[in-house]
Amino acid sequence: MIPPADTIDYHTQSPEVSKRFAELKQRPVVLSVDDLTKIFPSRNGDVTALKSVDFEVYRREFMCVIGPSGCGKSTLIRILAGLETETAGAVLLDGNPVAGPGPDRGMVFQSYTLFPWLTVKQNVMFGPKMAGHKEAGVEADARQWIELVGLSQFENSYPHQLSGGMKQRVAIARALANRPRILLMDEPFGALDAQTRAQMQSYLLQIWKNLDITILFITHDLDEAIYLSDRILVLKANPGEVDEIIEVPVPRPRSLDQFIEPEFIATKHRINQLIHPESERGQDTLPFPRMTKQGDDVE
Amino acid sequence: MLPTSPLFAFIKMSDSGKNARDPWFAVRRELSPKRATVLTVVSFTLPLLIWSAVSYLPFLWHPDIQLQLSANRKDVSTVYVAGDRLSKGFFPEFQEAVRVQNAELNTQLASEDPLAGASESTVRRANKKVLRHLAPLLIQNGWISDDQSTDDEAIYHAWGELASGERSLKRPSLSDENIEIVEANWKAMSAVSPNYDSDNFVSVPLLSLVPQGKASNPDYLPAPDKVLTSGIKIFSIPAESDRPSMLQRVGHSLQIVFGGFLLAALIGVPIGVVCGTYPFFSRLVEPFTDFFRYMPAPTFSTLLVAIFLANDAPKIALVFVGTFFQLVLVVANTTRRLDMPLLEAAQTLGASQHQLLSKVVVPGIMPSLYDDLRILLGWAWTWLVIAELVGVKSGLTEFIETQGRFRNFDLVFPVIILIGLIGFFTDQILSLIKGVIFPYTEDGAKAASHPIMKAVLFLPRLVRRLLGGKTTPDAA
Repeated sequence: MIPPADTIDYHTQSPEVSKRFAELKQRPVVLSVDDLTKIFPSRNGDVTALKSVDFEVYRREFMCVIGPSGCGKSTLIRILAGLETETAGAVLLDGNPVAGPGPDRGMVFQSYTLFPWLTVKQNVMFGPKMAGHKEAGVEADARQWIELVGLSQFENSYPHQLSGGMKQRVAIARALANRPRILLMDEPFGALDAQTRAQMQSYLLQIWKNLDITILFITHDLDEAIYLSDRILVLKANPGEVDEIIEVPVPRPRSLDQFIEPEFIATKHRINQLIHPESERGQDTLPFPRMTKQGDDVE
Repeated sequence: MLPTSPLFAFIKMSDSGKNARDPWFAVRRELSPKRATVLTVVSFTLPLLIWSAVSYLPFLWHPDIQLQLSANRKDVSTVYVAGDRLSKGFFPEFQEAVRVQNAELNTQLASEDPLAGASESTVRRANKKVLRHLAPLLIQNGWISDDQSTDDEAIYHAWGELASGERSLKRPSLSDENIEIVEANWKAMSAVSPNYDSDNFVSVPLLSLVPQGKASNPDYLPAPDKVLTSGIKIFSIPAESDRPSMLQRVGHSLQIVFGGFLLAALIGVPIGVVCGTYPFFSRLVEPFTDFFRYMPAPTFSTLLVAIFLANDAPKIALVFVGTFFQLVLVVANTTRRLDMPLLEAAQTLGASQHQLLSKVVVPGIMPSLYDDLRILLGWAWTWLVIAELVGVKSGLTEFIETQGRFRNFDLVFPVIILIGLIGFFTDQILSLIKGVIFPYTEDGAKAASHPIMKAVLFLPRLVRRLLGGKTTPDAA
């Protein structure tokens, strides 16, 4: 039962929530995206994937990016990670422009990217070793990160022996071991089943809460976005533009019970409106003729 | 689904009741391990059974007659000796010709001039040949040994025993008409001397034995038992100064194959990896390599001899040319197939360009590279025979060539089969140890549970356990 959208406004924030946002905006800006544009040249004319995307992420903020498919979410995060180059605009990390991939921005991918030839521990040690740190220190450090994601007893296992959820937990530990300023997550739980996904979301919130880490999280799951984030960046497709930045009015700490709170539902309703605008409604009914007898109804 | 013949009864029994749900033929459905093993065994025994059937069942094929007993014919220069094969069509003609010749001789003997104008010494020489014609039968029956085929005294004695009926040939036996001929000839021979006397040998023309033979396959399909005994024989011949032993030949052939292959791998793998990693090198190297590999390696043989002169160098070079260009392209492709997200993840973890190559690309492609090299080693083997014919013939091929020319196919077959076995077992062993080298692959988990590997790995595992290393628990 979703209450009508106009009864509760997603803008309405309880005093604690507004206080939180006021405090949040006092914190230093970790990531600043300035008028970012990405154009993919192609034979049939240029495709603008991102157009003048502009936003800021504050220290220890949890921000989600959501949008319809093809809105350039992945392009955005790949530019932030340095895996793609922007056509125009700039990405600043702590005020310094970003050029190319680097260990200051950890990334967790949707596909499993653990190195299959390394054990869990060796995977977590990968980043620090690339930076040339001493083996002994790195190993002790890696053990702590593995413990943090609750996989101590698997530290000598190979990735192929782990379940999907475990692999992503190792991927998170591996990214964190580099002590990045920001953790970029590109639909990291997209390939997991619903139960594992819920568990992973809860783990992630616990990790975020206890570490000095800022998270930018891409998803196409509305519940996931609201459950996890402080603010949600909603992107529009063709071209990818910032539609709205929503301050999630659901108080913290979050729990699964909040899914039926009015603030939660109002926010979800709003995002739904943005992602599937009025003009597109009705497109989801098929022009399907009746193929059963009159009276033989299921609803 | 299953034939109800007794041959398959044991299979039915072992899987009784499951047949309805577990069909033997279902698209891409895995067979049970038991069935898979049975089929593997059948896959080897079936060709062997077919070969045996064709060899030992006289009514299958057998287009030739192999002579057990031959004969000379007057005025015919083509000589067939025991062991030779004649076509089934020609054999009766050959027999008939000898019978006609004997009939003519009988009329001649009854005439006034039994020698028909020939000198006694000529007749005596021809008679000695007739005497020896019996030898192959005597050898096969074990009356005389292999090297007694010209021991006239022993053969003479055997003629006597046969004529008197004291002993008779069993395997193969003597046809009735030939027994009559033996009796008639012995009558003439014993009239001159009871024992062999070279100077006092019968000078009345003797009748020729009528050729005898049994149905047989052509010489190019020797029977399995013949191949086995010949195989054992050729491997037990020790080396001589000008002729290497079979084991030395095997060693020499292995040297050529592995020499060429390892050289190709040593140079080709780095080039392939670099091509697969950097598009710059891919564009620079691969188009020409792609063109070059279509030029058949054997066409370079004379060139290679001119460059590398005699001995093994041009042979190894030929295997190299045949393998190298394929290898570069295959390795480049394998390198390109490495999961792009792995490289991206490594970059976000701070890996430099140089570290990407050494810490991600190289270890990442290792298992696929290993498989590639296994397949390419098979390629190298296919060039062996041509390589060994280059310059001075050598190794196993030289043996095959020489014996094949003499149509000693029973000696050729064991060597061909041996090459197959070496290749097959090398590949099997390499496939088995893959899991040990790469424990993190799916194959690794499989290989580690293989009975042979369990045995091999028992000691290292025990040591690890004693040292207190943790075993890795599997995830659910």
